[in-house]
Amino acid sequence: MTLLQLHNVTKTFGEIRALNGIDFSITEGEIVGLVGPNGAGKTTLFNLLSGRFRPSSGRIIFAGTEITGLKPHAICRLGISRTFQSSRPFAKMTALDNVIVGCVFGKGFYLRPRREDKCTALEILGMVGISHKAETLAGDFTLSELRRLDLARALATRPRLLLLDEVAAGFSPVAVKQAVKLVLRVRDRGVTMLIIDHFLNLSLKVSDRLIALDFGEKIAEGPPGEIMKNRKVIKAYLGLRHEEEHE
Amino acid sequence: MQNGEEPNKIISIEKNSKPRVKRRRVDEGGLVLLFFVLLLLPVLVRHDDYILQVFTHALLLATLALAWNILGISGSISLGHAAFFGAGAYTSALLSLESGISPWLTIPLGGLLSSGLGLVMGLICMRLRGAYFALATLAFVEIPRVITDNWDGLTRGSLGLVGLPGLPSLHLGSWYIHIGSSVAASYYLVLIHALFLSGLVGFIFHSNLGIALQAIREEEIAAQSIGIRIERFRLFSLLVSAFFAGVSGACYAHMVRYIGPELVYGIHFSAAPMIFALCGGRLTIVGPALAALILYPVDQFIFHPLLPAGHEFLYGAVLVLVVIYLPRGFWGSIRKAP
Amino acid sequence: MWTTALISGISLGSFYTLIALGFALIYGVTRNFNLAHGELLVLAGYAAYWLWKTWTIPFLMTFPAAVIVMLVACFVLQRLFSRLGEPRELNSIVLSFGIVILLQNAMLFLFSSDYRLIRVPAFGKGLFLFDAYISNSQLILLLLSLVVIGLISLLMNRTYLGKALRATIQDKEAAALAGIHVKAMGTIAFSLGAVLIGLAGPLYGATHYLYPSTGHSVTLLAITITIFAGVGRMRGVILAGWILGLAESVAVILLGASWREMVGAVLLISFLFFKPHGILGKGEQ
Repeated sequence: MTLLQLHNVTKTFGEIRALNGIDFSITEGEIVGLVGPNGAGKTTLFNLLSGRFRPSSGRIIFAGTEITGLKPHAICRLGISRTFQSSRPFAKMTALDNVIVGCVFGKGFYLRPRREDKCTALEILGMVGISHKAETLAGDFTLSELRRLDLARALATRPRLLLLDEVAAGFSPVAVKQAVKLVLRVRDRGVTMLIIDHFLNLSLKVSDRLIALDFGEKIAEGPPGEIMKNRKVIKAYLGLRHEEEHE
Repeated sequence: MQNGEEPNKIISIEKNSKPRVKRRRVDEGGLVLLFFVLLLLPVLVRHDDYILQVFTHALLLATLALAWNILGISGSISLGHAAFFGAGAYTSALLSLESGISPWLTIPLGGLLSSGLGLVMGLICMRLRGAYFALATLAFVEIPRVITDNWDGLTRGSLGLVGLPGLPSLHLGSWYIHIGSSVAASYYLVLIHALFLSGLVGFIFHSNLGIALQAIREEEIAAQSIGIRIERFRLFSLLVSAFFAGVSGACYAHMVRYIGPELVYGIHFSAAPMIFALCGGRLTIVGPALAALILYPVDQFIFHPLLPAGHEFLYGAVLVLVVIYLPRGFWGSIRKAP
Repeated sequence: MWTTALISGISLGSFYTLIALGFALIYGVTRNFNLAHGELLVLAGYAAYWLWKTWTIPFLMTFPAAVIVMLVACFVLQRLFSRLGEPRELNSIVLSFGIVILLQNAMLFLFSSDYRLIRVPAFGKGLFLFDAYISNSQLILLLLSLVVIGLISLLMNRTYLGKALRATIQDKEAAALAGIHVKAMGTIAFSLGAVLIGLAGPLYGATHYLYPSTGHSVTLLAITITIFAGVGRMRGVILAGWILGLAESVAVILLGASWREMVGAVLLISFLFFKPHGILGKGEQ
């Protein structure tokens, strides 16, 4: 079924048009990569989807419900969760507590953390591979561990759609391989994913489909193989000269 | 988050021994020792009224600091908590003076009114973050102060209110304890209040409310994206904080039996809780209370005799030192030290 | 009556602008909120008072002395502020709050809580203008403030230094990348602020009663004006000062002098509520 639909979504900040008339949809169970050079509007799109900003115009529909302009906590309760480019851990809390926060608030509010929350949190930490550091303060983590913690926290809210923001940026090929395995494991849990990937290392390997943005507009959409050969995409990343070379 | 048993954890995985258990026992031992000293203080000082009164006042400031820190958990810094302290003081004073209602009732009513004032402040200021929120609280306290100062008909204006009823008496079966007239009894009342509030703050820290507030303090945007309603939690913590600040103010009114707008809405009661909480440690449960119990007596016993005018510089000096050299506060540093 | 309010409002407002300029400059360039701004002003006033009273130094000579005292004080302050980490704005508020307590108690110790006033004979007199009385003190406040504001304006808009300052105010990182010595700009901002407070202090001491806790309302004024104008917008500071001065004068007529401080507080909260980044400035998301 169609999980997410964007209809003619536009976002302007004063004079700057960050996103212009974006249209696409995502089916449940897909892994879609969102690619494009810096400044293309990918993170802005995430901010719209997660509720941090309101679209200037257009509509966003998630699982049949209109979510345009809803606040972040409401969108989270409906089932969309995200990670951050800069991870944003709760630095003075342990990794376990970071994830427990996600368990506790993802779907509602009650007075004290429950046993199940702790168990679920431990399980998720195990899945992303940092359960050995459950009791360490998040502020002391390495970059790769932080990314995984961010992912764990987002998963703790039991999302249907997960927005991953540059989760493999700066990773070595070995680390990318591990990231691929992790993403597939997340898909096996039944989570649909939209992945921002500027570096084109992760998304090429896991995505069913790529959507390419440039200067706030969608310039291409299709399977990874096709997109990588798409002239507009090459031009966006590498510039005019390279486009001519390919002719 | 720290308390007596489970440091650095919301839920501990194992309660067995850890490498740091030895240090924890020292901290906790210290707290237990302090508890007994406080419990037996009247006996220890051989009922020296002056010393007891200083420590009673220190405990009152401790309750104000604990109340302040309920808001402080969320990362918000209030520079105008005297607004709530004073509102509680005046409400309780006026109700008990004019209507003869027992302070047992007017003190919580004072807390309620302060909470209402907190609601007003919250509705206006909750959108503000960090520095701007602090500035708003700095300005906000002027409003109840000036209103109280000018509304002569109700509050006697800048003359203040005198002859307030003392702390209420307690009937326990055939026992009749005049708390107001007994220095030791007043001391114990405030001590119980402080212990109760410490327990409450500890409960909040470990509850989902406390978790949410800490997440909000750490990373507001991430907290929002995992389902935490920022404004609602901050507002709630402000309401609770204002309530207990008001209760402290009301207790103060009935202890000293005189209040005036410059006094209860003054900078002393805005600065004190903030300074104690920061010096003790905003991330700890009892840090603010400990700082009050140390700094206020030091001020009164050591510096006041030396410098009858200007002895409160101590608070400013300690704050500056803590902000620069010991941002976790002294108790926070002890708790967190490896 | 309204003409008096107008004159009083403009004269007072210009003086408020003079006072707020230092605060706005320091905040704009270094992002440090100096809550002790009012206390510094009062300290400068006390310094002038002490020289005038104890050493019978003529009033005019107290100005350079006050400026020197302020330069020393701001030097110390700058060193303290530089030890702070992020978030700078909040940390500077907390630190300067500690300084407020320190300074208030120091002044309490040195001068006691008695009200002090520098009595300048010329200030007692005045003249009639358009059927309203304008005192000499109001005139001097107005003229001096306008002159100093004008000089600062010239500095900010017509000199390279001013350009560098404005660049640092707008975007510290970009300014640094453009080769501007950001730390030096901070020192200059503090120094200029010190000069401005040093000039305003004796004036304050000659037109208002000095007592240790009077600095608080001055600081609130400076904050209100700075927030209204938005970060680093000097023209806005002047406008804001006048508006505040007029609002207070009108409020005094309508409500009475005792409501003055609440008017300032309500204004500040409204400005923060509607546009924390400045009424005249563009908002951020």
